[in-house]
Amino acid sequence: MNSPPLLILAIDTSCDETSAAVTLGPVVLANVIASQVNLHQSYGGVHPTIAIQAHLEKIEPVVKQALARALITPAMLDAIAVTVGPGLAPALEIGINFAQKMASTWHKPLLAINHIEAHLLAVLAVPKNKKLPIKKILAAKKTQQKIPSTLSKHWSEVIMQTNCAHKASFPVLGLVISGGHSQFIAVTAMGKYQILGETIDDAAGEALDKVGRILGLGYPAASVIEKLAKHGNPNRFQLPLPLANTKTFDLSYSGLKAAAHRSIQELETQGPLNQVDIVDFAASFQSTVFKHICDKLNKLLADNKMKSALSNTAQFTQIWLGGGVANNIKLRQMICQTLKPYALSLQLPFEKRLCGDNAAMIGVAASYQAKKKPLIAFDSTADLTSTLFDRRPSWSITDQN
Amino acid sequence: MKIIKLTTNNQTTVLAQAVACLQKGGLIIYPTETVYGAGVDATNPQAVQKLLSYKTRREGKPLSIAVSDRKMASLYVEINQQAKNLYQQFLPGPYTVISQSKNNLAPGVASEFNTIGVRIPQYELVVKLVQLLQQPITATSANASGKKRPYAIADLLNNLSQKQKNQIDLIIDAGILPKNEPSVVIDTTLSTPLTMRDTREQYSTTAKAKPRISVFISQNDQETQELAGKILLKYWTQLKTTGLIIGLDGELGAGKTIFAKGIAQFLQIEAKITSPTYTYLKEYQYNRHQVRGNFYHLDLWRVAAAQDLHSLAIDQLCQPKNILAIEWWTQATSLLSTIKPKLLLKIEVLKNNHRQITLIEN
Repeated sequence: MNSPPLLILAIDTSCDETSAAVTLGPVVLANVIASQVNLHQSYGGVHPTIAIQAHLEKIEPVVKQALARALITPAMLDAIAVTVGPGLAPALEIGINFAQKMASTWHKPLLAINHIEAHLLAVLAVPKNKKLPIKKILAAKKTQQKIPSTLSKHWSEVIMQTNCAHKASFPVLGLVISGGHSQFIAVTAMGKYQILGETIDDAAGEALDKVGRILGLGYPAASVIEKLAKHGNPNRFQLPLPLANTKTFDLSYSGLKAAAHRSIQELETQGPLNQVDIVDFAASFQSTVFKHICDKLNKLLADNKMKSALSNTAQFTQIWLGGGVANNIKLRQMICQTLKPYALSLQLPFEKRLCGDNAAMIGVAASYQAKKKPLIAFDSTADLTSTLFDRRPSWSITDQN
Repeated sequence: MKIIKLTTNNQTTVLAQAVACLQKGGLIIYPTETVYGAGVDATNPQAVQKLLSYKTRREGKPLSIAVSDRKMASLYVEINQQAKNLYQQFLPGPYTVISQSKNNLAPGVASEFNTIGVRIPQYELVVKLVQLLQQPITATSANASGKKRPYAIADLLNNLSQKQKNQIDLIIDAGILPKNEPSVVIDTTLSTPLTMRDTREQYSTTAKAKPRISVFISQNDQETQELAGKILLKYWTQLKTTGLIIGLDGELGAGKTIFAKGIAQFLQIEAKITSPTYTYLKEYQYNRHQVRGNFYHLDLWRVAAAQDLHSLAIDQLCQPKNILAIEWWTQATSLLSTIKPKLLLKIEVLKNNHRQITLIEN
């Protein structure tokens, strides 16, 4: 618990975004996301593309900028972490190849990180603040001196004070809700995960984007829906709550998506949609999407409570929320409402960018993974490493080797 | 194994010997109006196992059976209206009509969908044989899977292993059969007939140029998945030899991913098939009857530019034993001019919430 924090360069190219970050333990020293930065682009495109060319062109400048912002040099790093999956295979390979090259050049250990686990652990990220002895620790890393245990202890104490998620005892219930994923994950220990429920078809973010596009809100529409929904009537349109009668904790959005589509088509037979129609529909649809999550969350918590009363299984002590849709205030409010009878607190990543795809969360996840086994410098010639860092586009969070 | 040459005089003795052999669970090779067939008593479990070890590599396909008339067929399969029409129009004749099994035959005869192909050959000897035996016999072609079509006994024997030859008890040699095409196979267990095999098409220049279009109605997700499986069974050999590309079109919620789930079910993939909209591509490994390959599930909904598609290297993914199912195909047809899907499926939602699925076979 009082081991010195590791200085990690983290890279994520799992799909559209090219991102690099520098983390010191769970503290984010820099978090660079290509689409949000003014990088010189030689091809157009406002929204991120999956073009491999784009990843190839952006990866080096993004890494350079992360190191510069954190005021560190590669020599100071304790390790390099890279997303190995899940994601788009050719995109993942760009990040992996770059990370391997860096690890070889600088003789650093390389860590393979699971993208979903990173979303889950994003709540543990801590922003830079004056109480943290960052400069002292970085100075020690620069001169390769051992970090005194008193400094490490002080560091850990400040972390605990700053972020409640660090005080959590296990088990903790995690929710990762994004455009590509919607899962309920039980965290029984760091690195030990169980998927309690997940979508059997579309993710929540995807449902919002797709229906939003039909409403004429462009792409990506989820954030536009959120803005419009604030002014809309969520009860005007009745949409079916998915899997309301099933006992599993799985989610499903394809039926709701189809129902929304039909509803909009019916509405359009009476003439083009006006502002009020769109705003009300956005509110109604978003509300149903989130009700589905809260309904299943409630069932899950009730089940957990009952089980812990009957047998000796522990009850969840906290709820951790991650993924791009976690930025939605309405979702946060609805989840908090659901948690009230269970007296559970909702933990969120400290800023918006940590919810979407970003490399800082990779760094945070890596800092925990690194504690599990001794770090060995990456050797590109060793046979062992050749499959360890193969891209794993379908890697499940429960698959921890 | 015994070989009897069939002459104009000895039909009765030949039949007597064949019936005796089949009653003992033996395997006979017999002539039909198409090719030589391999026959066992389809109600005898040991005999059917013998045939399966002779024939090998069914990989989910049904063994067809020969019966004497429609009345006999109805004892073993459910004959729906579609099938009735085909029986009326084409049987007896070089057609195999696939219907749902009534579960009265030995295990191993029916397909993985529990369907059976029925033949009423336009060949007197066979019809008489079945009538004398009073049981249906298997009507699968006599050649080992994948080998030359057996129009002559010498051809057949030259392409069999010793083990296979040892399984044969009796051969009825009717000389060299006229080189007619094997039977046309039609599946009647879907809402519309699905032609599973029609080798006559290769001779027709018009048939080659025009794509074949069939329209199916599916009442629920399960039916859509079963349809996907039956279509894939038809294209299974092609999938193994060249790979297969399927384009899926339909508006939001029509059921493209449900169809993809049907593909996964057929390939015996256990992993959940979820929407690939955000990663563009999800890959799954499969192992079906010892054949291993990859199922690539693509979604082009988010693809806006040609360079995005280029990154996916779709043409490189299509290799033997691989299958690609591409959702929102029309979204990118202008960008995908070099890729031609073998099958295109258009799914529409009907007023009663059923689906109309149009299959275009290129």
